[in-house]
Amino acid sequence: MSAPEGGSPALRDAVRTVLRQAVETYRDSPDALRWLRHHLDRYDEPLRLAIAGKVKAGKSTLLNALVGEAIAPTDAGECTRVVTWYQDGHAPAVTMYPHSGAPRPLRIARDDGALRIDMGVPAETVDRLEVTWPSASLRATTLIDTPGIASLSLDVSARSERFLAPEDAPSAADAVLYLMRHLHSADVRFLESFHDQGVARAAPVNTVAVLSRADEVGVGRVDALRSARVIAARYRADETLRAFCQTVVPVAGLLAVTGRTMRQDEYAALAELAAMPPDRLDALLLTVDRFAGADGDAGTALSTAVRAALLERFGMFGLRLSTTLIRQGVGDASTLAAELVQRSGLVELREVLASQFSQRRDVLKARSALIALDLVLRREPRPAAAPLAVEVERILAGAHEFAELRLLSDLRGRVLRPPKEQAAEAERLIGGDGGAPNQRLGLPPDADRDALRAAALDRLTAWRRRAESPLASRAMANAARVVVRSCEGILAGLH
Amino acid sequence: MALSDAIQLVDVARKATEAYGRPDLTAKLARTRDRLSDPSVRVLVVGEFKQGKSLLVNSLVSASVCPVDDDVATAVPTMVRHAAAPTAALVREPADGGEPERTEIPIGELAGHVSESGNPDNRQRISYAEVGLPRALLAGGLVLVDTPGVGGLGSAHGAATMAALAGADAVVLVSDAAQEYTKPELDFLATAMQVCPNVVAVLTKTDLYPAWRRIADLDRGHLAAAGVSTELIPISSAVRQLALRTKNKELNEESGYPVLISHLRDRVLGQAEQLARRSTGHDILSVCEQLTTTMSAELTAQENPEKAHELVARLEKARTAATRLKERTARWQVTLNDAIADLSSDVDHDLRDRLRTVMREAETLAEDADPADIWDQLAKWVQHQVTCAASANFVWASERSGALARRVAALFAEDGQVALPELPVATAGPAPRVAALERPDTRRISLGEAALTGMRGGYGGALMFFMPLSLIPGLAIAAPFAAVGGALLLGRKQIKEERQRALQRRQAEAKTLVRKHIDEVQFQVGKDSRDLLRRTHRTLRDHFTALADEMQTSIAESVAAAQGAVKATQAERGTRIGDLKVELDRVASLADRARALTAAS
Repeated sequence: MSAPEGGSPALRDAVRTVLRQAVETYRDSPDALRWLRHHLDRYDEPLRLAIAGKVKAGKSTLLNALVGEAIAPTDAGECTRVVTWYQDGHAPAVTMYPHSGAPRPLRIARDDGALRIDMGVPAETVDRLEVTWPSASLRATTLIDTPGIASLSLDVSARSERFLAPEDAPSAADAVLYLMRHLHSADVRFLESFHDQGVARAAPVNTVAVLSRADEVGVGRVDALRSARVIAARYRADETLRAFCQTVVPVAGLLAVTGRTMRQDEYAALAELAAMPPDRLDALLLTVDRFAGADGDAGTALSTAVRAALLERFGMFGLRLSTTLIRQGVGDASTLAAELVQRSGLVELREVLASQFSQRRDVLKARSALIALDLVLRREPRPAAAPLAVEVERILAGAHEFAELRLLSDLRGRVLRPPKEQAAEAERLIGGDGGAPNQRLGLPPDADRDALRAAALDRLTAWRRRAESPLASRAMANAARVVVRSCEGILAGLH
Repeated sequence: MALSDAIQLVDVARKATEAYGRPDLTAKLARTRDRLSDPSVRVLVVGEFKQGKSLLVNSLVSASVCPVDDDVATAVPTMVRHAAAPTAALVREPADGGEPERTEIPIGELAGHVSESGNPDNRQRISYAEVGLPRALLAGGLVLVDTPGVGGLGSAHGAATMAALAGADAVVLVSDAAQEYTKPELDFLATAMQVCPNVVAVLTKTDLYPAWRRIADLDRGHLAAAGVSTELIPISSAVRQLALRTKNKELNEESGYPVLISHLRDRVLGQAEQLARRSTGHDILSVCEQLTTTMSAELTAQENPEKAHELVARLEKARTAATRLKERTARWQVTLNDAIADLSSDVDHDLRDRLRTVMREAETLAEDADPADIWDQLAKWVQHQVTCAASANFVWASERSGALARRVAALFAEDGQVALPELPVATAGPAPRVAALERPDTRRISLGEAALTGMRGGYGGALMFFMPLSLIPGLAIAAPFAAVGGALLLGRKQIKEERQRALQRRQAEAKTLVRKHIDEVQFQVGKDSRDLLRRTHRTLRDHFTALADEMQTSIAESVAAAQGAVKATQAERGTRIGDLKVELDRVASLADRARALTAAS
């Protein structure tokens, strides 16, 4: 995607300037200074995307899928116990940040691809781990793996909560990917789990929910992902859920990570399996015990070790799907890998992440920075800081990006309740489905400039009328004015 | 039926009591027989949603009775019990506590009523569905109850499930091999163990997860750490289904179901049968003792007529004791009456206390926010809290009634002096009947549910859910984003003041509504629990009064017989002694059989 899309240099500069001024103003207060410096640095760093969710929701697996490499350790039992940052860098390195004491580099060991990190100290004493890894996927976004909520070890849950919703400071993450396994729409615990997380502090504008482990929805049936899509669609339509996140995307994490890292020998093994007589293969794929059972009774030349490795990498669902695909004519490793990634829902998730987060990177970053600054201004008010407060308010009020975010949040949170169609259209026009002109106007990506212009003009007129309608309440008229300005912005972008 | 020998023995004993002219004992045995002929053993299948509970029930009875779906399926609890031919019925319990209404439906239409898709949020307000199936597994009296997993174990459903647990004979905790036990699951288990200690843990979907053995070990570790000694049975419903379709015995073994079935049969059913046998044995033994008392008194008098007066004097003393037992001033009576009064006020106070806490919190919540925005959540939260409070109150009350029954029984046995057999209270006498308060209670839950139309809640989270939302309008620290909005709002103070009045009115309204609701619940629940305690009182009183009556009758007859013996001639005496010895032998052999019944189990 191109840089200026959704990016707003004016906003970026304004925020940086006010942060710098704040640093000057608070030069004599070491705490405030450290805090502001930290946020000034952070402002230029990549977007921080935290992956949160209940224990065993598949957070590390999804992280691996997004990176395209199996670097985060995964396990059948509870695995991630410390908040771990994954960021781009020239050479692999792991740094441990204890609660007290100086950061300490750790030795890197790789265990079949995944990093094996031996902290050497109890997890309770560690604030976070920072993994630097050369990866193009991490260049624009720093990924943060968090320990699961509702973990049996209370301490692990607490560490996540502290990270995602610190008591007194803005969250360390700019955006949150909330993973959940299959849940019930009428279930309040569903939302509660967000709050258990403390992700409540994340406004809907920076949260995307993922129906994770989507391959398990159908208990391993080959059509499981179709069911997962239906369920995700039901969640998306759920009003209560809309108040908490932008959208819900089903993703089969294991399938995605395996698809992205598939090797030729794995394909060969799968092809060999697919060549077995169908009834023999079905019997073999009935249970995990049968599939990874002893050599003699499996009816295949593949050794137990190979089969066990395949099972670990693909899962029952992945094996059933892959062999079915090969039977249906998928003839080589790269096609199969692409097919698996496509079916896993990862592609869709990346598109959503791009439209929701990457395009709004500047706004989200500015938001994090302004909240941090606001905290300092409230904690340590001083006469010299008064112009800063005015400036913060000017930026907040002046930047149309914030007006859009605020309106989006109000519409999603049902603070404003316009008629349903109007709400949907307003959300789209202010960038709820993505910031590109065609996304805002609900047109296909290949729509030409004239079509875009015509549509934008049409919407502009309609919303201008709504903004000026004497019947509209003040709040609704204000909302309509924001939409009008978004329409004008689209037109201006089209020249 | 496995209990047929027990029923036979009861019939023999009944004939004996008729022959000896003791209608009071005949009536007692008739009750015993009634209890035996309904050997229902309720097994609750519980767990978080999407763990495979319904499929487990289906696979157990090899029929597709409970709906199974990729999305959440079960909305209504389904009881699967034995019947000669397949039947299905829906039961609705009216909110005002009237007679439950039963609708027979074709078994094929069941899914439309109990599934989440056919009956979303249980809009049809069905209390539960009943399915009858001709299955050998169920013939022993096993009743499987498939519960909706919706809402998770910590939610209002979980609370309702907890109340239902009190009447269950066993619990099957279902969790899949995707992950080890979570905290809500273990919390649920810990509470469940207090109400229904007979728990079996089942690990489902072992066909799908390569690491299921690790998960099983982890789960066993969690169970051990929580001090729960129960078996963990890994099963695969997919394999069982295939085995049923292809009638493949090996596959069936592989599915792990035979282990579960034999556990249900041997441990759960077996245990229930054992209890039934033991209590039947005790009933018959107590009848035998009553009969023996009379006869051996007469025998003693016949054999030693010169000592008859002495014997009569002793018996008179015993009779006075027995009569005193029936008086309202008897220790057990006084204790029972006092304790019931205490319990009643304690339970009432406990409920009031719990509800008052809910109310206070709800009011604080309503004050902190605009009810217009948060009413849905607030209502759900209140609903849930109220359900939890009522449930906890109930569990506590039933524990205390159980303890009371035992205390009264001990006092009775102490004062009764007459060699009472071990009181049935501890097994299948009044105590379990007392524990069976669960049915009114489930209705009580549904009462609460009816009061706030069809709302469901989730604990804690609802509160947490509620709090941040409540902060959005004004306070700048709620959500980071709200902080941004908050800064903007500073300039709009005037508008805020204008709106203040309307807001206050809404808040007052919300508080009134909550208070009204809680009042209503308190009234209903309070009435129900008073009724429950009154029933407990009556059950215990009737039970022990009947026992005292029996004793009194036996002793009175003994006195009469002993006095009669003095008047008899030598010849008559010889014949009578012979007769009595034979009769006593007969009763003794009956008692032996009763003892064998108790021991055999």
